[in-house]
Amino acid sequence: MGWKAIHRWLGLVAGCIALVSGITGVLLSIDPVVQARHASSVPLDLSVATLAERVQRAMPGVEEIRRLPSGAFVAYGFDGEQAQATYVDPDDGRVLANYRPSQLPRWVKNLHRSLLLGDAGRWGAAAIALAMALISFSGLVLLLRRMGGWRHLAGPVRGSLAQRLHVLVGRVVLVVLLLSSLTALCMSATTLELLELDAGPEPDVVSVAGSQAALPGAQLPVLQGLSARDLHKLNFPSAADPEDIWKVTTRQGQGWIDRYSGKTLAWQDSTTAQRVYDWALVLHTGESAWPWAMVLGLVGACIVLLWLSGLLIWWRARRQAVRIAGNSALAQADVLVFVASEDGSTWGFAQALHDALAQCGHRVHTSSLENFQTAPATRQVFVLAATYGEGQAPTHARQALERIARLPRGVAPVAVLGFGDRQFPAFCAFAQAVEQALRARGWPTLLPLERIHQQSGQQFALWGEALALALNEPLVLNYVPRVPPSTTLTLISRQDYPGQTDRPTVILRFQWPHLGWWDRLRGRGLARFAAGDLVGIVPPGMGVPRYYSLASGTRDGFLEICVRLFPGGLCSTHLYGLQPGGTAEAFIRRNPGFALQGGQQPVVLIGAGTGVAPLAGFIRRNHRRIPMHLYYGGRDPALDFYFEPEIRRWLEEQRLASLQTEFSRVPGGGYVQDALRRDATRLRDLLKRGAIVRVCGSRPMGRDVAEALDGILGTLRLSVQQLKAKGRYAEDLF
Amino acid sequence: MSKPMSKPFLATTVAAACALALPSLAHSRQLTLTTQLKNYGGDGAYLAVYLTDSKGAYARTLWVAGGKAKFYKHLADWNRLSVGDARRLAGVTGASVGAGRTLKVTADLADALIDAGYEIRIDAAAEDMRDSPSDIRVPLTTQNVGKPQAGKQYVQSLTYQLK
Repeated sequence: MGWKAIHRWLGLVAGCIALVSGITGVLLSIDPVVQARHASSVPLDLSVATLAERVQRAMPGVEEIRRLPSGAFVAYGFDGEQAQATYVDPDDGRVLANYRPSQLPRWVKNLHRSLLLGDAGRWGAAAIALAMALISFSGLVLLLRRMGGWRHLAGPVRGSLAQRLHVLVGRVVLVVLLLSSLTALCMSATTLELLELDAGPEPDVVSVAGSQAALPGAQLPVLQGLSARDLHKLNFPSAADPEDIWKVTTRQGQGWIDRYSGKTLAWQDSTTAQRVYDWALVLHTGESAWPWAMVLGLVGACIVLLWLSGLLIWWRARRQAVRIAGNSALAQADVLVFVASEDGSTWGFAQALHDALAQCGHRVHTSSLENFQTAPATRQVFVLAATYGEGQAPTHARQALERIARLPRGVAPVAVLGFGDRQFPAFCAFAQAVEQALRARGWPTLLPLERIHQQSGQQFALWGEALALALNEPLVLNYVPRVPPSTTLTLISRQDYPGQTDRPTVILRFQWPHLGWWDRLRGRGLARFAAGDLVGIVPPGMGVPRYYSLASGTRDGFLEICVRLFPGGLCSTHLYGLQPGGTAEAFIRRNPGFALQGGQQPVVLIGAGTGVAPLAGFIRRNHRRIPMHLYYGGRDPALDFYFEPEIRRWLEEQRLASLQTEFSRVPGGGYVQDALRRDATRLRDLLKRGAIVRVCGSRPMGRDVAEALDGILGTLRLSVQQLKAKGRYAEDLF
Repeated sequence: MSKPMSKPFLATTVAAACALALPSLAHSRQLTLTTQLKNYGGDGAYLAVYLTDSKGAYARTLWVAGGKAKFYKHLADWNRLSVGDARRLAGVTGASVGAGRTLKVTADLADALIDAGYEIRIDAAAEDMRDSPSDIRVPLTTQNVGKPQAGKQYVQSLTYQLK
């Protein structure tokens, strides 16, 4: 079971009861804050002896003085027959207000620590504390995974409202929750008598009456040597019992004192366990530290928020989880299909394969690649693996290669089917890695590795024919493309760039429907996006979306893309034809490596043509005025200098630090890489200072830019490859 | 420790203390103690019901209400006096007693203890409240039979019968 499963199930189940702890915890945190009003400051040199004398003068029947964790002093005595408890002023022993231990009914505390179920409930509460510690710890592990390590912990959070709420709240309160649950365990251990706090049994000591009279408290040397600041409790000897003794409890320990001789009859130092417990008590309850109590109260309230958002996240993930219809159990299946997919598109192919095999009478088990394993009944294995980013594994299948390497040698023949895009240099690189890992472990080949380009249904059907031959079965693959749930965008404005007559360009600005908070919390509607992410547009009557880089973020309040008409292109024709008021079906796809992370380093933006769109989005959001330098390459400033007015304005507003342009179809013009070479000295300086590079444009342009930069970086003993590995250089090429 | 407090009805805890092997059991009488607690507004109270002799020395524990040994130090007098009695808890323990409720204890006592200067004492304590060692002290005499006596902090009344 992974951390995610631990976090999810403990959170959902134990979290229900932790809600009770959280809410009652909020109520209990009120007490220390209220009690703090009665706290008195104690002069450093005030001894317990002087305090005892002052209080006794003001309240002759006093039997006990306690210093509360809040710092207030309370004296107990009798007023005639009536038991009395009042706050006293340590400066003069004056009797102040009546003391009330708590503002709350007792059941609140009992609900918090024992669920009103006595000792069994205390074990239950301890179990909840343990669960809470595990939930917090697993949450920390998941948080680090999600954010990409300690260094990015404070970075911006993406996802649905519930996800963002969960992560934002979680990363603030997590440490306090962990502390709170560990201290609760410590307190449970003492209450359940698993941990002994006392130094030993009470000594059997009495005062021995001699010739002298009983000493007043002020004359007891032991009490003179103890600071009132350290006092927990002082018991006066009873007037009715001549053998009774003084008993004093301080932070250091407790002592029993003869009322006649003033001698210490016994002394017990407080144990280490007691000191640890005292600290745990302060940390858990906030007694003696009211600001901390307020923090604890807020964190208690956050448990409710975390549980609710967690519930929503789980519920949504469950509804969106890809369910393979007619899935057989692993042990019974003769054919296994494993899927790795970042955005879920590969699952559609898996379902098609699953159905076709099932039609031929096979029992098929389809699962995620991270669950890769076989059973004795397994006859054939299929791996359908998409590649993510620059040849990486999809997030959920990151451990898959290691898992395959750890498993025993394989016996069932395997066929690996890769999914990717030929435009990328690492076309189906992950599928290839899986294939190699499997062959290295000796798995026989059912079919050689096949790579499907851009989710081509035709290519998939062809592979199916090869498979039918290999299996000698009448197998037909029938793939129906799946598209993520889309939202209808409405065009609000368009800005036309006629450009060359056959390839005009347009900047389209859309708005999306605004949903209520409940729908947003459930992740309905358009996902949050930032400049650099992608929007998938589904043209009418087509199942395959086209992706465009976003020039704006959710916080800009509009969705903007730059579209160049591609002759015969279904999607660009559809978009180019839109007039204000027209609509398009869209969904967001994250582009995590490309979007800016929000550091302090200077940023070098290199774009050509419509590739300037996401870069413009970065500059638009640069409220912090981080030095951003834009290198823009086009053909003719009169025709295709997209976003020019905005870019000029951003320069004035210092959102953009510098602008270099290069146009190829003007006399003496060149390409963007020429501008880079011209600026080599400054670029070297920027990159030496840790600058981040973002490149967006066509694939050949990306190659030329990388080449030019490698030339510039040579003297720094740096390369684009190294910068990429550090995450400082990212491309969005089309 | 978590009974709802201030319920109007009185629950009765009948504590059938087993007869201790005292030498003069042949001449023994049955003591029935009824202790009613005040509505002090706190969790269930720990009580120690015990006998001291004419010199104030510990004689015998009749009942201890409350199960956690770590809280016994809050029953300070009993805890101190009975420290030498290894069997002080033998068969005489039960649950803590809620505010406003009644504890009933029976014990067999040797005749020799009655009207001989012995005292019935109760130490009481409740969580987050003040300890009350010797909350009540009542001489064990035939004269006091059936007469309710008031305690200091926790005990509303203590009444006993002898049979």
